[in-house]
Amino acid sequence: MRETLITKRDDGYCIAFDAMASPCEVIVETLDKSLALIIGKEVSSEVWRIEDKYSRYNSHSLCSKINKSCGNPVDIDDETFALLNFSDTCYQLSDGTFDITSGVLRKVWNFDCSDNIPSQEAIAKELKNIGWHKVKYDRTHITLPANMEIDFGGIGKEYAVDRAILLIKALTKQAVLVNLGGDLATNSARKNGSPWQVGVEHPGFVNKKTMVVSLFKGALATSGDAKRFLRKNGQRYSHILNAKTGWPIEHAPRSITVSAPQCIQAGILATLSQMQGENAERFLLEQEIKHWSIR
Amino acid sequence: MQLISDKKINNTVNKKSIKAALTLATTALLGSVQGATANSAEPLTEDTWAFDSAFLYYSEADRVSAAEAIINAKKIYADESILSLKLTIDALTGASANGGVAQSNVQTFTRPSGKGDYDVKAGDTPLDDTFHDTRVQFNAQWTQVLIQNYTGSAGVHLSKEYDYLSLGVNGNLAYDFNKKNSTFSFGLSYFQDTFEPEGGIPKPFASMPLAYHDNGDKSGHDASRQSNDDGKTTTDVMFGFTQVINRHMVTQFNYSYSFVDGYLTDPFKILSLVDDDGIVQDYLYESRPDERIKQSVFAQAKYHFDETILDVSYRYMWDDWQIDSHTVDTRFYIPLDNGSYLEPHFRFYQQTAAEFYQPFIMQGKAIPEFASADYRIGDMTAYTVGLKYGMKLSDGNDLSFRLEYYRQTPESAGHNAPGALAGMELYENIDAIIAQVSYSF
Repeated sequence: MRETLITKRDDGYCIAFDAMASPCEVIVETLDKSLALIIGKEVSSEVWRIEDKYSRYNSHSLCSKINKSCGNPVDIDDETFALLNFSDTCYQLSDGTFDITSGVLRKVWNFDCSDNIPSQEAIAKELKNIGWHKVKYDRTHITLPANMEIDFGGIGKEYAVDRAILLIKALTKQAVLVNLGGDLATNSARKNGSPWQVGVEHPGFVNKKTMVVSLFKGALATSGDAKRFLRKNGQRYSHILNAKTGWPIEHAPRSITVSAPQCIQAGILATLSQMQGENAERFLLEQEIKHWSIR
Repeated sequence: MQLISDKKINNTVNKKSIKAALTLATTALLGSVQGATANSAEPLTEDTWAFDSAFLYYSEADRVSAAEAIINAKKIYADESILSLKLTIDALTGASANGGVAQSNVQTFTRPSGKGDYDVKAGDTPLDDTFHDTRVQFNAQWTQVLIQNYTGSAGVHLSKEYDYLSLGVNGNLAYDFNKKNSTFSFGLSYFQDTFEPEGGIPKPFASMPLAYHDNGDKSGHDASRQSNDDGKTTTDVMFGFTQVINRHMVTQFNYSYSFVDGYLTDPFKILSLVDDDGIVQDYLYESRPDERIKQSVFAQAKYHFDETILDVSYRYMWDDWQIDSHTVDTRFYIPLDNGSYLEPHFRFYQQTAAEFYQPFIMQGKAIPEFASADYRIGDMTAYTVGLKYGMKLSDGNDLSFRLEYYRQTPESAGHNAPGALAGMELYENIDAIIAQVSYSF
């Protein structure tokens, strides 16, 4: 069921809903309930629109249509073209380790906290179906080789946050925070000039207190999930996979939270830093990017 | 088009450049899909007006002071049409140079109405202190998308002073292309002004009559007048081109052509008629051509650094009165914490004189067809330095303060100052302070 729930807070209203397999909330600093309702409706509609269009779990989505195209061209629109261009940039910047065609590795890697490490043969078989450079696309069409899949899971939620902020900016000057399952952004500082206090949760870190981060403006995104790993012979395998080798990145932090002007930037920087393994924090430090890491 | 075909991966991506490359990619992504939104196209912003208000105070040392209040209301409809209404009220008081030259004795001038006179001290630039006027100005502008990529705009203008009425209409068409990175625009406007100065319109080069007083003989005054009122029309044509260069830089180029037809003389301005010793013998009303064609080109670049924004513009204006002017205007936007900002401003202006500008008329020489001693059409250099501070209030509204200093330096256009005039200040500097408070809600 798609519904939103509005609750009054000291400083305004909070509109909660579920999307993209995450709890989502929009906090609006206003006493005007109708404004909060309008913003909640706009944001939830937009997030659900993006989910319907790009989720690989939804068999009617454009993403599924592309994945089922068996090597035939599929029509795309400007928005999809822009997302593919963005994915292409990330592929180039990561030297191929970030690749939206790497989702097929899911078939052999199941991060259920067990010691179920796949064989190199099984991984090699799936690697043949990975490689963004094999995908051809232009402004109106994409052609995906048969047996390959694309997956916007690495950028979809962050993209939805940024789209929500764009909509909000057109609607109001009041301060609003959009939080889609921990990926979040704000249109401006709060009324009293103080920062948003954001609790960054680390699912699975039972003993970790929720980390509170101050955010004046811009966005935060987190990469890492303590519940999704494998462990064998004392080696912890994180769920961040290197698309070139098909193997998890070694010595990656359990969780990295990055701050950036836009959420999608923050999300990609968090992911790219994870790809650096033990050098994750240094990678972000070198670029003077504010971040919080948990190892 | 094949964008991806075994594209070689660049192994030497500079780590430092990743942030910049991502910023660029993010801008491309979020900027390109403005059109794609959820299908809830309710008129959300209906009934929400945005208001800007400003109070401005302008004061020239020893001369004119002006106070101005502006309120601007803007309503954006769900289809992105915009209605903008603006009301401006000015109050002007103080003294303005009447065109005469300073003398070593007291000078007496008749007020423009013909009733009464005023004295100017020896050595002072003659200023007419008659000026106090209130102006109410109203503008309404409607802007809407006509068909895809074409935006149309139309507006009306009304300005009323005690002795002046200006009515205007304008239309503008803008065409966006190149993914809205480029815009061509074309605008037309037409104004009709009627001027009904107290005391009527003086005849060109008529001698300033002596003042008459209550129940006095006004035949001398009437003889110097040609009519009670007059008017002018202004037709403007403007071509504009705006180009987004990259995510940091936006440029704009305009060309405008303006044709003014009608009464362009200032009925309050005179010229001193001086003899070879520089002694004033008479005061003659000025006379200007009844046509003026002005053209200008304008270029502007706005550059967004990571935080700050630099805005630089240049305008070159020329007209068939031989006035050429150069204007350089620079603003630098510096954001501070909590949504406040500082904005230093610097403006430089330089103009050459109209061909008929002369600071006085020499006795014994033929009266030219046109002449004016109005310092505003003489050679001059001016600059403005200022600072604006803006802040966001706790209710999300914007408040800003602006303080500027303006200095205008009229220059000699090479007219020899005979006799007594050699010791007089013919080109007096003007210093002014501009203070403004703006509030958006």
